[in-house]
Amino acid sequence: MRRALLLGVVLALLAPNAALGHVILESSQPVTQSRLEAPPNEIRLRFNQAVTVSPGAIQVLAPDGLLLSGTTTVSEGGRVVTAPVSRIARGAGYTVRWRVLGGDGHAPAGVFTFGVGVAAPPPTEAVGASGATWRDDAARWALFVALALLIGPLVVRLLVVRGSVPARAERGFHLLGVVAAFLVIDVGIVAFVLRASNALQLPLGDLLYGDLQPFAEKTRFGVAFLAMTLGFGIVAAVLLLAWILDRPALRWPALLLSVTLASGLSLSGHQATEDNAGWLSQGADWLHLVAASVWAGGLVALAFLVWPLAPSLRRDAFLGFARLAVLLVGAMVLAGAYLALARLPEASDLWQTQYGRFLLLKLGIVAVALTWGAAHHFLVRPRLEAGQQPNVRPSLVGEAAVALTVLLAAAILTNAAPPPAEPPAANARSAR
Amino acid sequence: MVPRPEIAHWLAGAIALLLGLLLASEVLVGSEVFRRRRWRAYLFPAVVIASSVLLWMITIFSTFSTMHLLAHAVWAQAALLAGAVQLALVRDKLTSPAWSLVPGVALLVSGAAFLVHEPNDWLYSRSAFLHHAIGWMLVVSALFPLGQALRPRQVVWRAGFALTFVLLAVLLFADRDSATIFGRFGAGGP
Repeated sequence: MRRALLLGVVLALLAPNAALGHVILESSQPVTQSRLEAPPNEIRLRFNQAVTVSPGAIQVLAPDGLLLSGTTTVSEGGRVVTAPVSRIARGAGYTVRWRVLGGDGHAPAGVFTFGVGVAAPPPTEAVGASGATWRDDAARWALFVALALLIGPLVVRLLVVRGSVPARAERGFHLLGVVAAFLVIDVGIVAFVLRASNALQLPLGDLLYGDLQPFAEKTRFGVAFLAMTLGFGIVAAVLLLAWILDRPALRWPALLLSVTLASGLSLSGHQATEDNAGWLSQGADWLHLVAASVWAGGLVALAFLVWPLAPSLRRDAFLGFARLAVLLVGAMVLAGAYLALARLPEASDLWQTQYGRFLLLKLGIVAVALTWGAAHHFLVRPRLEAGQQPNVRPSLVGEAAVALTVLLAAAILTNAAPPPAEPPAANARSAR
Repeated sequence: MVPRPEIAHWLAGAIALLLGLLLASEVLVGSEVFRRRRWRAYLFPAVVIASSVLLWMITIFSTFSTMHLLAHAVWAQAALLAGAVQLALVRDKLTSPAWSLVPGVALLVSGAAFLVHEPNDWLYSRSAFLHHAIGWMLVVSALFPLGQALRPRQVVWRAGFALTFVLLAVLLFADRDSATIFGRFGAGGP
């Protein structure tokens, strides 16, 4: 009897039936972030399963927030949701906000844009979307810190303390690398969801079922997020294998992949999206980010791994990192100066725009860090070379703290909007 | 860009079945015989780590809702950590029996993620039933690694751990999401 009952349950579960997923927006007309030449008469959303809707389930908003859509209806067994639209004019971008109730009880919602006679604005600039908040700044900072904790110690272990190190220090390098890789992934997810939530404008409970696809697939930061999530998942696995299988050489692919993936932040930031952006500004931003990450993360590795866990390597590690730091600071200053000139062509922009004032703040903190580094270079290094053993750890911790503060200023700057830039062609014309 | 959910679920079911059979084989013949060839000991952790990479791929396809993105990210990380710890135990990089608890924690967290991302009652739909069933099964089965750590000689814990994956495979193969449950009950079916 029991066997028959068990068999019945299993067969019932395995019986063929409708094989549909969770409520997913399969397609829309107009297509997400498309450019139309003629105004549409209706908005049509097709879902993968039947949904129920309220009369205002689809809202079409003009740039000034005016509601242009009529009563929402369903057809084709509840899978297609339609709303008529009127008074749509050429030459503007429009926002579509939707919310339905799925058969599984979830209430997915989403937002997308389309343009009529013009390119559609990105979903982050949909009507009703808010700009970056302190939460976005905090998430971006945490992402920079995690990236620094991943890349910096890897560079120190691979380039500065290349030989064998005490077992405790080696475990410390492995542990920090793995934890940092997981942090990059998790903080990246939080940062992505926060950014999307600024446009979705949903309460937390509803945000859990918000449609993130327009942000993941139609924005630079979304595509970068997808690549970085998958990539850093692989980095975490490679770093774990490097430790478990005693294959330190696996750190090299982990480092190269991490440095490559860091470009996702540069390819989706202001240096890639402003009118005068180009491959040079994106490359400079990537170089700036990687150099800063190696510098800040390297200091953390020296202060918290090498100094307490590998006393015999302190001198060589400090001197080796001092040599590397000269290169890093040079790269940071050159790339940073180029980027500042690209974003703020007028000197007065430094104090007349918010972006400029943030940049001044960052430069002030950088000046403190560079002075600290110079003190290490010119005061501590000669003593170490002379065979003395000064207690540098508190000072290293201090410099690392200032370096991480620089990353905070960089995070705020990254989320701030620079003043509008002229496109390269316009620059060329005005130069001529 | 989004693959059909049941395709992903059935792929996950196939991997769970493979893991369950690997574990069951070791339980049936005994670790001494199973690990006579060293590479066999690597099979389970290797498949778990590989499945974590696949789960990351599913994660980035799961942007159709925040909840699914978060849940899949939790499963991917739990699989990677559990697989890595198992591999480290095989390699003697970790020696304390307490590390055997990590798969238990991974099962607990994974089960909680299943339960949290299902807001409906058991009989609301087939999907809801399966999510509850899988979630509670994983939560309860977290006791098996605990028992294994406390009483490593008792085979029941390892057998239970193996059967967990087999049952997980059955439930994942049965996943039809919003279809009615047992063919007639539930409000979620079309």
